[in-house]
Amino acid sequence: MSAVSLDAGAKRSVRRMATERLKNPALLLIPAVAFLSFIYLLPLIDLIRISFSGPTWLGYFQRVFAVPLYWESLVRTMQISVTVSFLCLLFGYPTALLIHRSRGIVRILVTTAIVLPYFIAILIRTYAWMVLLGRNGPLNKMLVSLGILSEPAQLLFNRGTVLLGMTAVLLPLMVLSIYSSVARLDQGLTRAALASGAGPIAVFWRVVLPLTLPGIGAGVLLVFVAAIGFFITPTLLGGPGDQMFAMHITQQADSVTSEGFLQALGVVLLVITLAVVAVAGRFMGLEFIWGGRKLDDTPKMAGPATSVGRSRRGIGSIVADLIGWPLLRLSGHLPAGFGKWTVRLMGGAVVAVLILPIIVVMIISFSSASYLTFPPPGFSLRWYEQFFSDSNWMRAFWTSLMVATVSACLAVALGTSAALGVVRSNIRGKSAIMLLLVSPIIVPPVVLGLSLYSLFLRLDLVGSVFGLAAAHAIGGLPIVVVILSAALQGVDPKLEQAASVHGASSLTVFRLVTLPAIAPGLAAATFFAFLHSFDELVLTLFLSSAELKTLPLMLWGDINYRLNPVLAVVSTLEVLLVVGGLILARPVLATSKKTA
Amino acid sequence: MLKMKHLRLSASVLASAVVLAMGTAVATAQSNVVIMQDPGGGYGDALRKVMYDPFEKATGIKVVTVQEARSGPRIKAQGEAGKAQWDLTFIFDQETKLLGDCCLADIDYSKLSEPAQKTLAAMPDNLKRKKGVALQVIGVGLVYNKDKFKGANVPASWADFWDVKKFPGRRCMPAWPRFVFEAALMADGVDKSQIYPIDMERALKKIKEIKPYIAKWWTTSAQPPQLLLDGEADMCMAYTGSMSKLALEGAPIDLTFDQGFVYYDFFSIPKGAPNYENALKLLSWRLDPARAAQLTSTFPVALPSSVVFEAATDKKVSRYWANNPDNVAKAIEWSPTYWGAPSPAGNSTNEEYGQEKLNALLAQ
Repeated sequence: MSAVSLDAGAKRSVRRMATERLKNPALLLIPAVAFLSFIYLLPLIDLIRISFSGPTWLGYFQRVFAVPLYWESLVRTMQISVTVSFLCLLFGYPTALLIHRSRGIVRILVTTAIVLPYFIAILIRTYAWMVLLGRNGPLNKMLVSLGILSEPAQLLFNRGTVLLGMTAVLLPLMVLSIYSSVARLDQGLTRAALASGAGPIAVFWRVVLPLTLPGIGAGVLLVFVAAIGFFITPTLLGGPGDQMFAMHITQQADSVTSEGFLQALGVVLLVITLAVVAVAGRFMGLEFIWGGRKLDDTPKMAGPATSVGRSRRGIGSIVADLIGWPLLRLSGHLPAGFGKWTVRLMGGAVVAVLILPIIVVMIISFSSASYLTFPPPGFSLRWYEQFFSDSNWMRAFWTSLMVATVSACLAVALGTSAALGVVRSNIRGKSAIMLLLVSPIIVPPVVLGLSLYSLFLRLDLVGSVFGLAAAHAIGGLPIVVVILSAALQGVDPKLEQAASVHGASSLTVFRLVTLPAIAPGLAAATFFAFLHSFDELVLTLFLSSAELKTLPLMLWGDINYRLNPVLAVVSTLEVLLVVGGLILARPVLATSKKTA
Repeated sequence: MLKMKHLRLSASVLASAVVLAMGTAVATAQSNVVIMQDPGGGYGDALRKVMYDPFEKATGIKVVTVQEARSGPRIKAQGEAGKAQWDLTFIFDQETKLLGDCCLADIDYSKLSEPAQKTLAAMPDNLKRKKGVALQVIGVGLVYNKDKFKGANVPASWADFWDVKKFPGRRCMPAWPRFVFEAALMADGVDKSQIYPIDMERALKKIKEIKPYIAKWWTTSAQPPQLLLDGEADMCMAYTGSMSKLALEGAPIDLTFDQGFVYYDFFSIPKGAPNYENALKLLSWRLDPARAAQLTSTFPVALPSSVVFEAATDKKVSRYWANNPDNVAKAIEWSPTYWGAPSPAGNSTNEEYGQEKLNALLAQ
């Protein structure tokens, strides 16, 4: 290519202009945008089209709102989501503070207790709760042996377990969101406040809380949006009175005559989710979806968002003073160290709630009994033997491995190129593109699966490894884009320019300068994209076929069929996989944090 | 140049991985296989042992099973897209009509084997339709813990099921309107000949009475056995197949066909099925009287032909068959036509309409 630039013919210069244009980093956005337009936007548009195809164009929607069942379920879904968000905040905030304040081994333990469950499949964590709260489970056994209950009670299948299960599943998301805010807190500010005579509670109320509000907002929204589309946990832990909206969609998918109405249900769920996100975006900027303010060059979005934020903070501080003042006076009577102990107790409770079910499941996987009971009557490896000798489980395992590998490759290839495009180009509408790239995170998986099914049928992709991997890559892509754009912002563009000036081609620059710098981030992104696909259940429920059964799909079938310790074996292996991955990725993650 | 080679190399590696991945999916679709929907669980195990393994050995055709409780919606979606994936499926009675024109192939009965013809000859015409043949008699009955209810104190009707004073204990029922509404009406004193069309409001009022005593509204056929064996429930409305299997194995449960329900699962070949001929071969195999009798003796789901009933000799087992004339006399013939008909609301079937009403009641 350097030879080209030496020549000076008219033809050559035209070609040079063309090559120059081809070097525009914005072009790197094309593959990912094209991929998402085809496999993500198009099916959603088609879904909306079908939902309006009734006898009258609003016909199907009338049924959604006229039949009390769906309307009430919608209200119930909102109630549950609000409650879960609140519970997550209540317990998540002290936990984030606990991580921030603790040091050494305690900090590592608490962090692990939060991060580990975050990467374990929702299905497995829900299953762990079923084991823990079951009739023969440890909790019932304990209550009976303590004499609190005379016989094991029905602890599962009610609203309480749904709230508990969903809160436990979503807590890590909240804690990590808040922690990202808490970690940025300038220690000098709190010290200054303390030195100026403020008590610890006043410091919390006047300094720490206002400064961590962005993290709280992001956490609450992410949890709320995830909760609205929840399907796995309420199905397994709830009773007939706890039907959430997404469950109606899967239920209707079982009826031959529900076409159109089914899509209308999906559209309602989608519109509500997008509306919540849009309203939230008005107040705090849409950056919360991809975890913060990493994207510096988004002047259009950031401008109004911060100004709104400022004016709100004004109102916020007035309210805080009105409510806070009496509270502060009240809390003056509390013994010293009260706050510290509250944080420790609540944080400890959270750690227990997150880790205990996983430990119980791991213990049960070594049980010698043929049914679920705790403590196990004896220890044996029979369930491991059964798992490894069962050809169905092994085939599912290899299928999952293959799908996740192809999916991770796809997501990383498209995501890396897109991240380069977002960070290095100067095109307009960059935040809109970023929004498109990360938006799959907020679309309820049930809606996505429903919309993809008809596209996949038309393209004959149902039950193909590549099709399933591509579908999983829709959710893997945002993960890669977010991690890599953060990593890329840590690479000085001047280094790349310097290499380029000295005659290196774009590819050489990427290979010798950019790639080594973002390698840690790339490794982490690959691992997470792999894990995303490996754990995915809801899309798979819609898109798999006879020959293509993934591990989560087998688990789902068996959880609905009978709870046996083989499931505990699969869960334990998944936990080991995540632990192994995290240990491998730990040095990588640490360095990527430094560069970012 | 070197880096280009690198790039091309990794691209070709990726491409070959993709081709390999897609290839495995394609390879199985050649015509030495037949793709069959499977109910899973104990019944699935029995089918594999009695039917599929010998079939594979005899014909060299591999039986790929898809565990799926309901195939109707998928057949419809696949049929409309012109991409059938299954060769042989079982669907509801009304679905042979609902899906017949769009998505189901005609069954070429002339191509079935001789023993299969014998079985078919003894079947009523309504059970061997152009678009589907009834291969499974399904029974739904009242199942109870016989340690808890014994001697003269045994429930024998839905009125007894509703009588929580005479028969204290927790119940379980399916979370569907079918069967539950009919049972509620019988418990409320409606004669079994007067059930259809169903008075839904009356049924719902009666269901409200029993609701506090229901431990679990079940949704998959594997749940009621689990609930009874774990002691979570003492009395259930449940499929008789898996329950009889457990009773035969010595579990402390018994069941009655009094006011029970009998209906049929139809086996159909989707239009454009990848292996139509193989599907017919498997169908012949399953309709063979001797083998069908062996299957029903292993797992008590019967085939609705008197030839099969006579081929089975073990009366201890056939007592549980839903097509045993003794049982049929006690049960009611359940009406798929009613549930498939348009509902009063106009934009749904009776089944969907009833489901919405029932769900709303359960959610209270």
